[in-house]
Amino acid sequence: MQRTSWKRFWKANNGYLYLSIWLIGFFAFKCYPFLSSLYYSLTNYNLFKSGTQFIGLGNYESILNTPKYVKAFVVTFQYAFMTVPLKLLFALFIAYILNFKLKFINMFRTIYYIPSILGGSISIAVLWQFLFQNEGLINMVIRLFGGSPINWLGSSKYALFVICLLRVWQFGSAMVIFLAALKGVPEDLYEAAAIDGAGRFTQFMKVTVPMITPVVFFNLITQLCQAFQEFNGPFVITNGGPQGSTTLISILIYQNAFKTYKMGLASAMAWMLFLIVAVLTAVSFISQKYWVYYGDEER
Amino acid sequence: MKLMKRVMAAALAASMAASMSACKSQAPAGEAAKTETQAQETSAGAKETQAQTGDGEQVTLRFSWWGGDSRHAATQKAAEAFMAKYPNIKVECEYGAWDGWTEKCATQLNGGTAPDLMQVNWNWLYQFSGDGSAFADINSLSAIDLSGFPENIVNQCVVGGKLQAVPISTTGKCFFWNKTTFEKAGLDTPKTIEDLINAGTVFKEKLGDDSYPLAMYQYERMLLMLYYLEAKYGKEWVVDGAVNYTYDEVKEGLDWICSLEDAHVLPKIELLLGDGATILEKNTKWANGKYAGFYEWDSANTKFVEALEPGQEFVLGDFITGIGEYDAGLTKISQCFAITEASEHKEEAALLLDFLMNDPEGVEIMGTERGIVVNETAGKILVEKDLLKGLTYEANQAVLGVANFTFDPNFENSELKDSTGVYYEVFENISADHSTTGDMAQYLIDEIERVQMENPY
Repeated sequence: MQRTSWKRFWKANNGYLYLSIWLIGFFAFKCYPFLSSLYYSLTNYNLFKSGTQFIGLGNYESILNTPKYVKAFVVTFQYAFMTVPLKLLFALFIAYILNFKLKFINMFRTIYYIPSILGGSISIAVLWQFLFQNEGLINMVIRLFGGSPINWLGSSKYALFVICLLRVWQFGSAMVIFLAALKGVPEDLYEAAAIDGAGRFTQFMKVTVPMITPVVFFNLITQLCQAFQEFNGPFVITNGGPQGSTTLISILIYQNAFKTYKMGLASAMAWMLFLIVAVLTAVSFISQKYWVYYGDEER
Repeated sequence: MKLMKRVMAAALAASMAASMSACKSQAPAGEAAKTETQAQETSAGAKETQAQTGDGEQVTLRFSWWGGDSRHAATQKAAEAFMAKYPNIKVECEYGAWDGWTEKCATQLNGGTAPDLMQVNWNWLYQFSGDGSAFADINSLSAIDLSGFPENIVNQCVVGGKLQAVPISTTGKCFFWNKTTFEKAGLDTPKTIEDLINAGTVFKEKLGDDSYPLAMYQYERMLLMLYYLEAKYGKEWVVDGAVNYTYDEVKEGLDWICSLEDAHVLPKIELLLGDGATILEKNTKWANGKYAGFYEWDSANTKFVEALEPGQEFVLGDFITGIGEYDAGLTKISQCFAITEASEHKEEAALLLDFLMNDPEGVEIMGTERGIVVNETAGKILVEKDLLKGLTYEANQAVLGVANFTFDPNFENSELKDSTGVYYEVFENISADHSTTGDMAQYLIDEIERVQMENPY
């Protein structure tokens, strides 16, 4: 009798057991650090100083009143607002080309995906440093065409552009998603548009783009989140310089947390960054009803 | 098919059980280690004798340091010699390059997982253990003999009322030159400030716009400015937590650095950064002789020599005179060894420390890999073995002859010294726009005093 009820209980609940491993990991390594960092952000917690005190919004006030930190937020916005549209446009453009029936198309698709496999790794960041240094390949090419070399890494005017370019170069993942979306656009829509006299460009703007807006939306959200969290590129290539022109907020979070050990301040910065990304994501979600077409709804 | 699934399930279950039992079996081992430690702690005196005679129970020490290949090789060899002398003590070495090492050590110290014996920077004693909680009191350990260490230097390692580390060496800032480049320009290496200014003009005329007699990045410029101010005014930079120079004096120092750029002595920082390197020894223009000099720690010269392309002569320079009436040699304790408070084998760690610092075998193997030793006992051994020679030794002797100034413990605080720190901000800004020296002078003073206030000592 008991055995039967145990079996029944097991059958009804064993899913929780399997789920528990993930749940333990989630609570221990995601949930707890997430919430504890919120608490730390309201304290003056320093890894190597005793007497941590609750200081309310003191850290947040300090961030907003320190020009260096405010500038880092501004630079982070500049970086995100430059890289995200550029990357999406570039990925869509390449995906559009790779959607044609060309010879060796699979090889081209693989080649264009390679930068994303290499990613924003340290070695690629170092390669970028070599490419853009005063005597690097880019300036050699500029000289070859009679131009004046540019101080890419040393000038506060150009350094951020170099960092942005590294991210735009890693367009492969967005491209693959766009490619899948392009393949999903029904052929009969293009045929109908062609019969109505629409050229390639009009077809693209009036058929392709509206049909892939859900994927544009998805890529926008993921790229936005990634751009605001960028760290490797500026850290390795320019170390935040010159004159703070590539100091993204993620670099200051790292510096405050692991160089000066001000965990409270670093947590507050991280939370401000989180709030910014959350607000931008929310705005994107709200705006989607005006520009994203899901096909299964009345418009 | 079903049978296959069952077999696979059984195999998986068996492997999981095996891994769980492996975890289980580790626990008693950890307990055993704890018990062993407790037993050792109950008889500290006996343990020391055991360790010294090599008859004791097996003890494993973790020993960490940072550095280059030659330092790694020498220190590992010394650890092996120690293990041969004390077979009951096993030394596990943890070492690596400087990049990221501070963060690693900070995390270990904070998490209670730091090695027993650590190579540390002097300012770490203040940064990580201002209250004396991270490192053990060396005075409480009997295995280390401190009789050969100068008292004034040892006292600098007393923080929070405890002697938290043993100083290994002192280092000082010196001028080094690429003599070959100066010869190409038809010049001797500079001895006075006039020589240096003149070199800027001659380099530009004879060697080209991209050749400079001196090349220094942001933090090094701060030290060069101190050289100027201390030579002229003869005062320590910071006294009692406040900048010991007036706004006008600091502005004068910053203006002087700008004047060196104007005179083609120093390249602009944006040019240095545009070269694609954030340190001089990795800059190709240092390697090929376009940049011909720098002001650096005596013990750091090797990496600059190694970076030079063949056929170039690298020399120690004179201290630049003509700035003011004071000798402005700047020295600091370059490195120390500390035993962590969390260590369960402090006496054994002290024994290893003593071997490295005092034992003729250990001292000879370690040589001058960490600079010129401050321990007179070790110094005598190195003299006997004819190991105190070379450029580092010469430079060290030269700077000791003019050493009038040192650092306060916050001088190298990360908020000031690191890549997004105050020194970087100040010197990048004045290099980009010379008219900002006034604002930057005030900013430098304010920020240093803020850091001093937040980190009292």
